[in-house]
Amino acid sequence: MTAFAVATHGLSMRYGKQAALSAVDLRIPEGAVYVLIGANGAGKSTMMKVLLNLERPDAGRAEVFGLDTRSQGPQVRAQVGYMPESHEHAYAWITCERLIRHVARNYPAWDHEYAAQLIRIFGVRPDRKVGTLSKGENRRLQFILALAHRPPLLLLDEPTDGLDPVVRNRTLAHLAEHLADTPTTVVIATHHIHEVESLADRVGVLSAGRLVAQMSRDELRRTVLRYRVEVPEGWEAPPELRIASLRRSPGGREAQWTLAGEERDVTARLAAAGATVRDVTPLALEEAALAFLAGEEK
Amino acid sequence: MMPRWRDVLLEQIRIVGLSLRREALIVGAVLGAGTLLIVSELLAGGPGFDSRETFPTALFSFLIPFAMWRNDKPFGPAFLWTLPVDRRRLALAKVFAGGLWTMAMVGVFISWLFLLALLAHAPALQIVLRVPVIATAATYLFGSAMMLGLRHPLRWLLGAAGVMFLLNNLNLMEAYERFRQPLPILWLGLGLAALWAAASRHKETR
Repeated sequence: MTAFAVATHGLSMRYGKQAALSAVDLRIPEGAVYVLIGANGAGKSTMMKVLLNLERPDAGRAEVFGLDTRSQGPQVRAQVGYMPESHEHAYAWITCERLIRHVARNYPAWDHEYAAQLIRIFGVRPDRKVGTLSKGENRRLQFILALAHRPPLLLLDEPTDGLDPVVRNRTLAHLAEHLADTPTTVVIATHHIHEVESLADRVGVLSAGRLVAQMSRDELRRTVLRYRVEVPEGWEAPPELRIASLRRSPGGREAQWTLAGEERDVTARLAAAGATVRDVTPLALEEAALAFLAGEEK
Repeated sequence: MMPRWRDVLLEQIRIVGLSLRREALIVGAVLGAGTLLIVSELLAGGPGFDSRETFPTALFSFLIPFAMWRNDKPFGPAFLWTLPVDRRRLALAKVFAGGLWTMAMVGVFISWLFLLALLAHAPALQIVLRVPVIATAATYLFGSAMMLGLRHPLRWLLGAAGVMFLLNNLNLMEAYERFRQPLPILWLGLGLAALWAAASRHKETR
């Protein structure tokens, strides 16, 4: 049986009339790097806050390593390294070194040697006041705070936001090293998919609070494909294909479809509907995710 | 691994102390200016102290929680709540830490007052005993309860100021004073109860 680092069961939450999460059943296996994709306002940040018990869901429940997030919030937070979406830290009036010391005193698992190493790697100046840091510097400080107690779960909300390309690559390379050294499950919420594509092994797509897709990267690569088909004039897609179709490029008798499903099944269904499949190509992670989001918007 | 309660409390005392540096500087500046005024009056042959002086320590301690919580908004995903500590306990630890520093500042004020009164050959003990220590602690608790229990404490504060203004205009202030004055310990108890109720709004489970 797969052990899940994070599992949510029918998680729903509203902000006033706006649904932030609708019956979300997230399943994140231990050790996975799970990329949660969605447009702004899709519910990614809310999901992370619910996992930390910073927000309380209206319905459903969430578990982190089998711990209920509502009744065992402190135990959950002790196992999580969290990087919030916001760049600015609330304690702008203290130095980076003092903030790091403050967080360290609240995490008995804090690895001081590793923290010092991270300070060097990320080039954070300990004597600087937190309030004087730029967006990117703040992000790097947040990385140190999230990683230095070597938590078994990392929740990173838009981790590359505000980082310049050089620092971004260095940061992601270090994250990969960290994952190699420390057994960690990572949840990355982002809409910059291409930046974390190399790390991802599972993907979830949130659209307007609904989890519209959740699968491994291999499954996504195998089942979300682009089909170039030739169709008779005036051809109408059968209803079952309309449902499966995530994207269609219009254009005369030849059409390009991005379809979800096993290749053999989809090809058979297209053939049964009178279309001839000319070509099938796999998609990059970002293209596949965007196809799901585009499919939802239709 | 969970942090020890003692470590959490000590760290809150340290970090709240740092966050109140500005307020401590203001107190230091006021006391410095007061010292100059009083000493110059003493040197000029004046009394130095007016026996009718009232000490606004209760107002000062009421405002301290507003300074303490300005960066950790309790009704939001505050940084404080991301720490691996039970939220109600953490809130109470922070209030305790702030209370400790507030009373330390009041202690400095009382010592300053005592020394200056001795210098002025005034009845130092009598003067010092007029500092409303219990009321100062009670207003600190009420201020903390407001910050923790109300989503919009400033609006409530303005509303309360409006009520006071009305009471004053309707000549009801005397009745209010009669109600307020005799039982400072009761107010302290009420402050503690209000604080507990307010902190309970941030329990992990509701």
